[in-house]
Amino acid sequence: MAEAPAVHPAAGRHRRPGLVGAGLRFLARRPRVLGALAGWSLLEGAHTFALGFALARALDDGFLAGRPATGLWWLAVAAAALAVGALGMARVYRQVAALTEPLRDELVRRVVGRGLYEAVTAAVAPGGGRHTPGSGVVSRLTHQVEIARDSFAGIVMVSRSFLVTLAGAVTGLAALAPRLLLVVLPPLLAGLAVFAATLGPLARRQRAVLVADEELAGETGTMVSALRDIAACGAQETVRRTVLRRVETERRAAVSLARWGVARALALGVGGRLPVVLLLVCAPWLLRHGVSAGALAGALTYLTQALLPALQSLVHGLGGAGARLTVVIGRLREGAPAGVPLPGPSRAPAVRGGRPAPPALTLRRLTFAYGTAARPVLCGLDLTVPAGGRLAVVGPSGAGKSTLALLIAGLLRPTGGEVLLDGRPVVAGPPGAPVRAEERVLIPQEAYVFTGTVRENLCCLLPDRTAPPGDPSLLGAVVAVGAAELVDRLGGLDGQVEPASLSAGERQQLALARAWLSPAPLAVLDEATSRLDPAAEEHAERAFAERPGTLVVVAHRISSALRADRVLVLDGERTACGTHAELVERSALYRDLTAGWTAGPRV
Amino acid sequence: MTVAPGAPGRGLSPAQGHSPTSAAPAGTGGHPGSAQAVPPRAHRLLRAEVRRHKGRVAALFLCATAAAGAQLALPAALGHTLDLLLAGGAPGGRAGGWLAVCAALTCALVVLDAAETVLTGTLAARTTARLRTALTDRLLAVSPLRAGRFAHGDLVTRCTGNAAHAGTTPGSAASALAALVTPAGGVVALVLLDPRLALVFAAGIPLLVLLLRAFSRTSAACVARYQEAQAAVAGRLVEAMAGARTIAAGGTVERERRRVLEPVARLSEHGHRTWHLQGRATAQAAVLVPFLQLAVVATGGLLLSAGQLSVGGLVAAARYAVLAAGIGTLVGQLNALVRGRTAAQRLAEVLAVPALPQGTRTPPGRAEGGADRLELRGVHASYAGEPVLRGVDLVVPGGSTVAVVGRSGAGKSLLAAVAGRLVEPDAGQVLLDGADLAGLRTAALRDTVAFAFARPVLFGGTVGDAIAAGAPARGPHGARVRAAAAAACADGFLRTLPEGYATPHDRAPLSGGEVQRLGLARALVRDPRVLILDDATSSLDTVTEHEVTRALWGGPDGAARTRLVVTHRASTAARADRTVWLDAGRVRAIAPHDRLWEDPAYRALFADDTGSGHG
Repeated sequence: MAEAPAVHPAAGRHRRPGLVGAGLRFLARRPRVLGALAGWSLLEGAHTFALGFALARALDDGFLAGRPATGLWWLAVAAAALAVGALGMARVYRQVAALTEPLRDELVRRVVGRGLYEAVTAAVAPGGGRHTPGSGVVSRLTHQVEIARDSFAGIVMVSRSFLVTLAGAVTGLAALAPRLLLVVLPPLLAGLAVFAATLGPLARRQRAVLVADEELAGETGTMVSALRDIAACGAQETVRRTVLRRVETERRAAVSLARWGVARALALGVGGRLPVVLLLVCAPWLLRHGVSAGALAGALTYLTQALLPALQSLVHGLGGAGARLTVVIGRLREGAPAGVPLPGPSRAPAVRGGRPAPPALTLRRLTFAYGTAARPVLCGLDLTVPAGGRLAVVGPSGAGKSTLALLIAGLLRPTGGEVLLDGRPVVAGPPGAPVRAEERVLIPQEAYVFTGTVRENLCCLLPDRTAPPGDPSLLGAVVAVGAAELVDRLGGLDGQVEPASLSAGERQQLALARAWLSPAPLAVLDEATSRLDPAAEEHAERAFAERPGTLVVVAHRISSALRADRVLVLDGERTACGTHAELVERSALYRDLTAGWTAGPRV
Repeated sequence: MTVAPGAPGRGLSPAQGHSPTSAAPAGTGGHPGSAQAVPPRAHRLLRAEVRRHKGRVAALFLCATAAAGAQLALPAALGHTLDLLLAGGAPGGRAGGWLAVCAALTCALVVLDAAETVLTGTLAARTTARLRTALTDRLLAVSPLRAGRFAHGDLVTRCTGNAAHAGTTPGSAASALAALVTPAGGVVALVLLDPRLALVFAAGIPLLVLLLRAFSRTSAACVARYQEAQAAVAGRLVEAMAGARTIAAGGTVERERRRVLEPVARLSEHGHRTWHLQGRATAQAAVLVPFLQLAVVATGGLLLSAGQLSVGGLVAAARYAVLAAGIGTLVGQLNALVRGRTAAQRLAEVLAVPALPQGTRTPPGRAEGGADRLELRGVHASYAGEPVLRGVDLVVPGGSTVAVVGRSGAGKSLLAAVAGRLVEPDAGQVLLDGADLAGLRTAALRDTVAFAFARPVLFGGTVGDAIAAGAPARGPHGARVRAAAAAACADGFLRTLPEGYATPHDRAPLSGGEVQRLGLARALVRDPRVLILDDATSSLDTVTEHEVTRALWGGPDGAARTRLVVTHRASTAARADRTVWLDAGRVRAIAPHDRLWEDPAYRALFADDTGSGHG
């Protein structure tokens, strides 16, 4: 989707016209494929044509005229046409692939872009990073994209095949006796009209079923994962009512869809079966006007062997596949644009004119709330950390420690006040925007490690334009944070990382080494050492303390606070900042915390 | 309310039909392992569904069979009419009569086709809905620990896809005969027209089978590789989403997107190859029936030349050859039946899990001298078929706190579940003020005994609903929800959410500790007399835990609550009146924490816990 234009936020609102338009544009971008598709389809049409025409000739010139050899020869012509038609059909599949596969690629790109965008958006919320990614995105990627692929291919195949058969049969009838068309075409067109008129309501009902199915699956999923809690709360009846309401909605939608099946049967009866009867009713008239017995037999063959089956698959395939496609594509298209670059956070120009170097981090009256009506998490926070300083942030869960980390990193926009790095204010951009990774590095509690080599995992935060660091500096970082043993076990820098086989602590070690490598002068560790044992944690924190630059540690254990120059105790209105000794004097909460954390086990 | 069809003959009296668990028969002594003899259950389940909709099934059977008959009669009628007309018959004479027959057959086909479509669809919809209802009822009625042997995704599949498949089975069965009649009738008609036509047709069939088999073999490998590439993209995406905060902080969304999409090239390549193979195979299959038909027509033509077959007969023969070749659809129909039965079997497995039996009595209240004394007497209990608790005796005196500690796997959580009757013991009794929990009404039991867990799963729409857990969160009840939230130290952060208590809980950014506090609030909202906490404060920092614990202390009417507290924290155990040390499913000691602390083996239980705040 790199070449796709930026998607306007409003585009998702008008789904249907947008969808049809997008579909037509998609096809219009591929004229060569469409041409080839039409060309190979012609061969298939020739086969349909030969089927009735050769039979008529075989009867009239051969079997009925007492020349069985001629009859067999005409049938051989039909067989040859059949083989050619089959060749055409095999080729048609390749062209359908050339339409379908790019569509699938585009959908996959969209799903991936949207999944990442949503995850990144959700990540900048308190505790947001702690959510395991939903199975929704995997279902979209494997299930819904495949439904779209199959339905799209189905629509192309079915409508194309109907057009081809129609063309072949109509030319065949015209070649046998144009008068036949007078009998056959009016009911066929009437049947198509009935089908066209009911296509809309049918698709709407199909859509209702699909939506009801999804909602049922969602509700069932909630119920199933909460069975223990439902039982413990005695909430079975409430949950039962909710789920059964969905079951009932689905049933009603399905029954309503089934009833509309009458329309399909009617369209098929009028368009496909009625012409056969009409042909017989008009047979005396046709015979009187020079239509031969062979032509009549040929016409019957066209009707029963070609048009009826083609109409049948059109009537059965188009409604269902069309509705599935609109529902699924509509769903895949809604949401965020796929990786369209967004304006990034900007920094005000440096105001430096011979004045002393500004502090590495300044918070000025910093206030933050997650909604306009919501109570602020942080309220008027003032703080400075000098360059090279080490700050530990402590406080009860929910006090806003992670929120503060996100604000410092520029991932959240303050409700009031500002954050300054090196004296310049940070302005948060929209989520997913490129950030100035060279100025600060943030490591959250959930270490991100992906399937790939150790080297890829270590270098993934480095700016694009810098040359990849050499092995010595990579290994240096690994040793510094205490991950040497782990990297050895994985087989060195080019060893393969399997995230699932690593413990949470090992993943944190890799993430720490990655952050250590970052050129950013400010490092923010948001409980990034929480899964390490105390000794390994101390080792890692010392490595960051010795790393040139400023360090902010959201403390997981109180020992982190003891190692810092200054400690910030976040506790609503009683927030306090100072050295360990000062805080033990001043902050009751800090006294409590230090007592609570150290007095636990008396081993 | 109807009795679940999985276990006929074990229903409840209708008088009990109003409580949430009444849909389940009172199966006693059921063991989770007893779901082995499944196939007859699948059969019985489907038979019950057929019986329930017997009118529709019979109508569908008649329609489908009649349609097959009409379809078989039509070519012969058409052929005969054509012959009469070619012989110069006027529409008014004998030809007219046959023409009327053709018209009637065509009309009948349209009507029967419509009826068949509607009946198939509505029958499937109704059967599916019924099966889903039965599954939902059963899942809510069984012990959640027994349902736990099915994975979550698996259960959802059973309730949605499998139920839909099983729901089509009565319809498929009803139209199975029709599917058999059409091709068989086609062959018979060919024989009747001229046995030589049938012979030529029969000679072509082996070819048909061979070609169809070649197709399924070639495409399977390609499809597998396609799915591998797809799984690779999904795997990378899930990884990246789990690391979203790192990606957001590093500003590397675009780079990650490229990395995740790397396997798409492979995906596309295998996709194209699949289409090629499918095209070739379809083309081969598509030629086959027309070739057979041409062979039949050629034979018919020769017979026509020899005066042994009429033009109408030839047209009919061509059509019968196609109908006879429909033998392939019979295979599809059989497949659908087999698939439906397999799906039904998966439903039957769930329905075979016995419901948690309940009684009719109400727990003795304070007025009747109830002191909220919880007692386990000789309790044996198993999990996933493995015996875990072996003879546990334990008394929690009314208003006191008993902590349960032990290594992981010692059976602490199962003990908590048994104590509040989330699962019934294999042997032994759990008594509340002397009354066996098995004899109590479930609804009354849940109002008296509440649970909170280490990882609560929230349900209901909003965070307010999640706390109310079944009771209305708005109106007069809203005050109770807020009070409970405040007691669990959750009111503060809930008010910082974008829509406060009305924020949908699946969209609320909650940390593990915050979800735990919602779970505690949910337990408090019913103002229970007995509280069972299964490591329910493990993610709270010590200060918050201290504050919450105070709220948990006070019960209704100001009296202290009876509490059973499973914990990994020494500080929590220290606050309890007494501590139960559980070791390999047995009580190793019951004593105050301070006394047990003298035992090094006891202290070793807490060695891993450095107050890390993680259970």
